[in-house]
Amino acid sequence: MTTKYAGFEEPEPAGGDEPIGVPYRGRRRTAARVLVPVAIAAVAAAGVAVVPALASPGTPTLPQVTAQQLVTKVLANRTTALSGTVQVSTDLGIPSQVLDMASQGAVAGVTGAAGAAGGSGQAKEGAANAASAGPQAKLTTLLAGDHTLRVAADGPDKQRVALVEPLAEYDLIHNGDQAWAWDSASNQAVHLSDGTGGAAAKDAKEQPKTPLDGVPTTPQQAAQQFLAGSASSSDVSVAGTVSVAGRDAYQLSVKPKQSGSTIREVKIAVDSATGTPLAVVATSTSGSTVLDVHFSDVSFAVPSASTFDFTPPKGATVVQPAQQRKWDNGIQPQPEASKAGSKVTGTDWTAVVSFTLPTQSGSTQTGSTQTGSTQTGGGKAASGHHRKQALPDSTTLIKSLGKPVAGGTLISTKVINVLITDDNHVYAGAVTLPVLQAAAGVK
Amino acid sequence: MSRVETVPVTAAGPGAVAGPRPQTVPGFLALFRSELTLTFRRARTLALLGVLAVVPILIGVVVKIETGNMHGGDGGPAFITQVTQNGVFLTFTALATSLPIFLPMTVGVVAGDSVAGEAATGTLRYLLVAPAGRSRLLAAKFTAAMAFCLAATLAVAVSGLLIGSILFPVGDVTLLSGDTIGLGAALLRVVLISGVVALSLAGLAAVGLFISTLTGSGIAAMASTVGLVIIVQVLDSFPQLHAIQPWLLTHYWLSFGDLLRQPMYWHAVWQDLGLQALYVAVFGSAAWARFTTRDITA
Repeated sequence: MTTKYAGFEEPEPAGGDEPIGVPYRGRRRTAARVLVPVAIAAVAAAGVAVVPALASPGTPTLPQVTAQQLVTKVLANRTTALSGTVQVSTDLGIPSQVLDMASQGAVAGVTGAAGAAGGSGQAKEGAANAASAGPQAKLTTLLAGDHTLRVAADGPDKQRVALVEPLAEYDLIHNGDQAWAWDSASNQAVHLSDGTGGAAAKDAKEQPKTPLDGVPTTPQQAAQQFLAGSASSSDVSVAGTVSVAGRDAYQLSVKPKQSGSTIREVKIAVDSATGTPLAVVATSTSGSTVLDVHFSDVSFAVPSASTFDFTPPKGATVVQPAQQRKWDNGIQPQPEASKAGSKVTGTDWTAVVSFTLPTQSGSTQTGSTQTGSTQTGGGKAASGHHRKQALPDSTTLIKSLGKPVAGGTLISTKVINVLITDDNHVYAGAVTLPVLQAAAGVK
Repeated sequence: MSRVETVPVTAAGPGAVAGPRPQTVPGFLALFRSELTLTFRRARTLALLGVLAVVPILIGVVVKIETGNMHGGDGGPAFITQVTQNGVFLTFTALATSLPIFLPMTVGVVAGDSVAGEAATGTLRYLLVAPAGRSRLLAAKFTAAMAFCLAATLAVAVSGLLIGSILFPVGDVTLLSGDTIGLGAALLRVVLISGVVALSLAGLAAVGLFISTLTGSGIAAMASTVGLVIIVQVLDSFPQLHAIQPWLLTHYWLSFGDLLRQPMYWHAVWQDLGLQALYVAVFGSAAWARFTTRDITA
C-alpha cells in the first residue's frame, strides 16, 4: 500500500523495528505478520502430534521372557500397595439406554424390588429402595464411554476407588470391616458393611469386598481374573514391550484357541519390575478396541492411611441397606449376576450365559415404549412408580432393537451378541451367532 | 490509508529537544494504567460486574426459599445439594452456573468492544497518536480484558461467599471425595479456583480481542464473540464430535471442580490452562498481525 502523503511514509517512531528510509509496504508486512499466528497454530498442532510419540518411547528394551514366565509373574504378583489414575475406555457398542435399562432390569429382577438404583443418582423415595449411591448403577456406567478412576490400595483390607465425574465424584471405600459408597452428586453415603449385626457378621469376610469385586476396576484385577480363568484355552505369547504410565512393561498377548469368540485378542501390559498388570486392551474380531483399561500414572508407594478413612460428612444422607444381600447380587451389571436364574454353558472364550427374562405384573403397559424412554431421564418423585412398570417395556424395547434370526431376535454389538428366543430366554456372550444358536438348541 | 500514530520525526540527534523521549518504566506502563482505569471506570463494566454479583444472590435466595423441596439432588446446578449445609458451596454453584453463559458473555462484551468500540466512537485514532505503538496498545487492551476476567470471577465468588455466609451456615467443607476440610483450607481453595476460572477465560479474551480488530463495529464484535462461545459449547455437547472436543475453548472449563477433590486432581486443569495459553498465543498473535498492519480510518 502506498499513500499519496509523503509524510505518512515515514516509519513509526515507537514501532521502532523498521529501518528509516525504507518505503512502507503494508501489504507485504500484513502477509508476513499473518504468518505468525499460522505458524504458532502449526507448531502447536505438530507438537501435539509429535511430543507424545517422543515422550513415550514405544518399545523399551527389556530382557527376554517366555510367556509362561510372564503369566506366572502376573499371577504371583503380590503388589499390595499402589495408587494411581486409571483410564477406562469401553466401546461395546451398546446403546446407553439399553445399558441403563438392562442394569435396572437385572437388578430389579434379582431383588424383586422394582425401583432399585436410580440410574444417575436421582431416586430418593422410600427407604426400602436401594440408594442411588448403590454401586451397581454407577459401575454400569463404566460399560460405555471414557472414564477416569483414581485408585488406591494398601493390602487386601484397604482399597479406594473414585470415579471422577464432572463436578462430582463417586467413591467406594473399603477399610477393614467397613465399606462405604459415597456419591457426591446426591450427597449420599451408603454403608455397605459395618461388620456388625447378624447377617452382615456372617459374611464379614466376604462382604466388605463385594463393592470392589465383580467389575474389575484396576488393570491388575482385570488381568488376574482373566488370566486365571482362561489361560488354558488361549494362545499366550509375549508381544514385545511397551511403556505404560512411564514404566517399562512387557506386552502379553492372549488369543482364544477356540473359534466362535468375538474377541480377537487381549493385550496385557505387565510391569517389568513388579509384575503388576498396567494395561488391558481387548480387541474384537472386527478389529476395533472394545476395552482399554490402563494406568495413566501409577505409584507403588503405600498411600497415606487417611486415604482409606471415611466418615459420612456432616449433612450427608446415610443409607443403611436393609438387605445386605442386595449388593451381593446386584454388583455385576451383566445378567450373569443373577445367580438365581442364569446358567453358563460353554467354557472360557465361548461361554454363553442364559436366563429367562423376568415376566412381571404390569404387562398391560407392554408396548408403551414411551414410558421406557422417559424413565431413563427420570428423577421426579413419581419415577419409582414408573420404574415398576418399565420392566416389560424394556423387554419389548430391547427386542425391538434386534433383528429377527432363526430362533428369535439377535441384538448384536461389537463384542456381545444377545439372542432372545421367542419364549423369552436370553442367551448372551462374546461369541458369534451360531454359538448362541447352538446353546439355545436352535436347528 | 493514513497511519495516524505516525508522527513526524526529525532526524533527532542525541541532544535534540524534539523527538522521542527516553523510555521509562512508568512511561511504558502509562498506557496499561490508562486502559485499566478506562475499563473499570466505565458504567457498563460496573453494571456487568453487578449483574454477575446478582447471580449467586439469586441462586442463594431460591435455594433458601425452596429448601424443603430441594433435597435429593433433583438435577439442578452442581453442588446445589451441599449449599444448604454449607454456604461456601454457593460460591462453587454460582461459578459453575455462570461459567457457561454469564461470565463469557461479560468477557465477550469487554474484549469484543475493546478495539472495535474505540473505532466505532472514533477515538481509536486519537489513542494511536500516543507514542506507544500499536503492539503495546494491544497488549494494554488484553491486560485490561484479563483484569476484567479476574474481576468478573471475583465478583461471582465474593458475592457467593457473602450471600452464602448470610443465608446458610458456614463451617467445615465436604469435598467431592467425601473428605472434610477446615474453613481456612476451603477458602484457600476458593481463591485457587477463582484464579483458575479467571485464567480459563483468557482464551476467550484473546479471541474477543482478535474479532475486535477485524471490525469497526463494537456491537458486531461483542455479538460474534458471545455467539462463538455458544456455538462452541453446542459443538462440545455432541458426542459425535468427540475427536475435536479436546480442542474446543470451553471443553475443560468446568475442570475447576477437580480442585475440590482430595487429593486435588490437576490433570484436566493443566489441560485447560494449556489450551487457554494456546488460544492466547494463536489469537493474540492474529490480533497483533491484524491490528499492526490495519488501516485505521476511524
